[in-house]
Amino acid sequence: MRLIQTNVAMIALAAAIVLVHPASIGPAMAQTATIRIPVLVPLTGPLALEGTSQRNGAVMALSNPPAGVRLEYEVLDTGAAPETAVNALERALARGGVSVIVAPIFGAQMLAMLPIAAERRVPLITISGTAQLTEMGNPYVFRFFPNDSVAKNAHALYVVEALGKKRPAVLFQTTAYGQSGRQHLAANFARLGATVVFEEGLDINLKDFLPALIKAKQASADALVLQLHAAPTALLLRQAASMGLSLPIVAGSAMHQPTTAALLQPAERKGVCAESASSPVSSVDPAVERWVAAYRREFGAEPDDFALTQYDGVRMAIDAAVQGARGPEEMRAALASRSFQGLAMAYKSDGVGNMAHDAIIMCYDDQGRPRIDRRYPRLG
Amino acid sequence: MATAWRRHVARVAAGLNPLYAAGAVFLVVYAQVFANSYDQRVLAIAGIYALLVIGYQFVFGHAGALSLAQAAFFGLGAYVTALLATRLGWPFLVTFPASLGAAAALAALVALPVLRLESHYFALATLAIGQAALAAAVNWESLTGGSVGLGGVPPPSLFGFAIAPGTRMLVLIWGLVAIGGAVAWLLIRGPRGLAIRAAREAPMAAGAVGIDTGRMRFTLFVLGAAYGGGAGALHAHLLGVVSPEVLRLPVMVSCLAMTIIGGRTRVAGAIIGALLLVHLPEWFRFAERYGPLVYGLALLATIVVAPDGLTGAATRLRQFLWPESPPPPPEILPRAVGLFHAPAEIDLKVIELSKQFGGVAAVREVSFALRGGEIIGLIGPNGSGKTTILNLITGTERPDGGKIVLNGEDIAGWNPHRIARRGIGRAFQTPILVESMTALDNVALATHTAVTAGLSYPGRRLAAARAEAASLLGGLEIESSAMQRWAADLPHGVRRRVEIARALAARPRILVLDEPAAGLDEAERNALRTALRDLAAQGMALIVIEHDFHFLSGLASRLICLDAGQVIAQGTVEAVRRDKLVEAAFFGPTAGADGAP
Repeated sequence: MRLIQTNVAMIALAAAIVLVHPASIGPAMAQTATIRIPVLVPLTGPLALEGTSQRNGAVMALSNPPAGVRLEYEVLDTGAAPETAVNALERALARGGVSVIVAPIFGAQMLAMLPIAAERRVPLITISGTAQLTEMGNPYVFRFFPNDSVAKNAHALYVVEALGKKRPAVLFQTTAYGQSGRQHLAANFARLGATVVFEEGLDINLKDFLPALIKAKQASADALVLQLHAAPTALLLRQAASMGLSLPIVAGSAMHQPTTAALLQPAERKGVCAESASSPVSSVDPAVERWVAAYRREFGAEPDDFALTQYDGVRMAIDAAVQGARGPEEMRAALASRSFQGLAMAYKSDGVGNMAHDAIIMCYDDQGRPRIDRRYPRLG
Repeated sequence: MATAWRRHVARVAAGLNPLYAAGAVFLVVYAQVFANSYDQRVLAIAGIYALLVIGYQFVFGHAGALSLAQAAFFGLGAYVTALLATRLGWPFLVTFPASLGAAAALAALVALPVLRLESHYFALATLAIGQAALAAAVNWESLTGGSVGLGGVPPPSLFGFAIAPGTRMLVLIWGLVAIGGAVAWLLIRGPRGLAIRAAREAPMAAGAVGIDTGRMRFTLFVLGAAYGGGAGALHAHLLGVVSPEVLRLPVMVSCLAMTIIGGRTRVAGAIIGALLLVHLPEWFRFAERYGPLVYGLALLATIVVAPDGLTGAATRLRQFLWPESPPPPPEILPRAVGLFHAPAEIDLKVIELSKQFGGVAAVREVSFALRGGEIIGLIGPNGSGKTTILNLITGTERPDGGKIVLNGEDIAGWNPHRIARRGIGRAFQTPILVESMTALDNVALATHTAVTAGLSYPGRRLAAARAEAASLLGGLEIESSAMQRWAADLPHGVRRRVEIARALAARPRILVLDEPAAGLDEAERNALRTALRDLAAQGMALIVIEHDFHFLSGLASRLICLDAGQVIAQGTVEAVRRDKLVEAAFFGPTAGADGAP
């Protein structure tokens, strides 16, 4: 009896050892890897709206991991200054075990983070449109949003070829987004044989756009091209509608955001077009529709293409993890070499980290509803 | 020499707040032993802001001017370093001084028009400088890279050692903070520190003892800008990128908040403010978008708990934990003993002096002369122009006509400090003291140049200045216990004598007093009269405005009576007393035989 008791105890002990010892974990569990993906985005400051979309898209992807991968993430606000973003990056890296980092949409913050990413060999996935980011030979940056050489190509093509306008006026924001876009618009219009008859840089805090609109009209422009952030876009369109401006308006990607559209009456956005990477709320793709419904449930807000492309970017990283990429170097190699079919588009690096090469033009119809008017695939 | 330095270091160590010493030790141990790369980076940024705030304390704390241009100097320093390092490949030993110099040069350029402005006009003008710098950074794309900015700023390299972010960078930054802090501490200690406080809190009094308040504000503004430029240069190296964000208002607001939270005038305050405000947002990152709200509440709580800054709170805590015994009586240096200094030759001629205020002729072609050893009494009814004449002689007002010739030099229209340096000292109708200083320091501040020449350490200079001040105050029968009291707590009679002592401390040849006996009791008047007679006996010249005819009778060698801005009589006391016009204008038709009004 005593022997039996001893044996039972020994078996129980052995069972316990087997259960808790890592080597004894079953094959399915052995493949479960922990992937750490910090989300560093601007949740406060002038880019809070875009940063929140970025966060939501990333969190949606990270909240629903596929089998075989355990995901860890933390969201850190990068605020409005490069140093805040760099601090967030260092904080995330100091905890160790980082495979890939969701990096802010704010170009100046990205510029400050790039050298650290290269030094510490950690890939950054971002939706920042600032062209310079992928022109510096840094192999650790991956952009899941069409950069300006793609987006502004589509923007200019639509104005010149689809609308047949040759004398556009360009109003741009005096921010990284605005100045980079304006530079690419100017080059593309020149290439397409159009003459920019008027251009003006507008401060992000400007509230009165009438002088700029009047000057654009007096310059005999035949189209108004905008490269402004969300709130200024809405304010300018409202003032353009109230002054009865009859020029066709093709705005930048800020206008595709449902939050921007919500600032305007249907009549004020009627006929306005905008360049974008995608338009999830106007998509008829069932997969995108399901995603949009899930997003609305999760966050109680309308998704934009910042959220969708960031979601796609994180999904590609997760997919790489499922395929066996573990550490940051493996993750970088996977992002640099593989292709991925996301919800918004197909992604594939062009060799310098630009993953997105498609753009669309969406326009608001007579009822002020968005619809995709034209697609420009594989521009970059 | 080595022994003297050891003594000096020992004195400094003895005066150090143990709380600061403990904090410094904790920081060093934390940075070396416990801090990871993230902690080190945050500490490095705190060091950069500490340097920026030490510079800002010169302007906001010591000059008392609310400048909103400090972020512009910070940004300029950052851009200069970025441009020189990335485009020309210049080394740190060139780019760093260049950043300091560029910020100082810009400050010097804008200071001339801007420093003339006062209070909110000055703040607005400096805000405009910041906005102009921001506009230039955003729109001059070919030079500054526009809103994206300039990337690829390399880490600094010193004598062949690359100083990458990490421990080396931390040592470099905090080493520069230590040097910058030590320089600031030395500059604001001693009699110079007293003079700076006087220029901030009582500029009229400061001017009256020869302190050039304008030059002082200019120097502090430029010095503060240089610190800002240096901080900007380090920021560019640490981040590797410079964008217009360094010029935006949040940087300026952070700088201002750090100064207020830490303390306006103490180097330790700059360091504590920077450490706290750089770390607070990091501590509250978990709150995501509510972080700024929590951060704001924490700041508000700090301001409520420590309204005079954390250094003020630390001083109170130190006093509570380790109460200080009352300071010993001031040390009197043998060479400083003696009340007054024999003046040189004096020859003052006031020639047809005139001053208009709008349509009112306050002074009309007044002429008189004054020589060493003379005491002139200025009398006349209220509004007759007596104080205006003193204001014109001492430079507080500029004359519309006439000359004031001192030993052959026309000093009419000069600034008060220049006139004071030529040897004309003054006491005001209502004593103007620096209320937050002791009586002793109110006098010592006037010796900021004269008595301290040749003495090396600020602490020793201050001791010599206080010894001189104690001699002067003692000569005016002010007890040593009163010397150690705050000026704000002194009774009227003592305040008057402190002000006269301050005027004497600047070693004047001519002393100008506006109603010095007003508010004094009989004993005090007699003592004052005796002291003034002694001064004249030693060769000093005095001009005394007084309504008390009895006081003047026993004092003045000549009287000048004014009415409606004109001299209506002058001569000996007896002659003026008997003058019919004086009787009518000053004593009135019902005056008694003794001339009492």
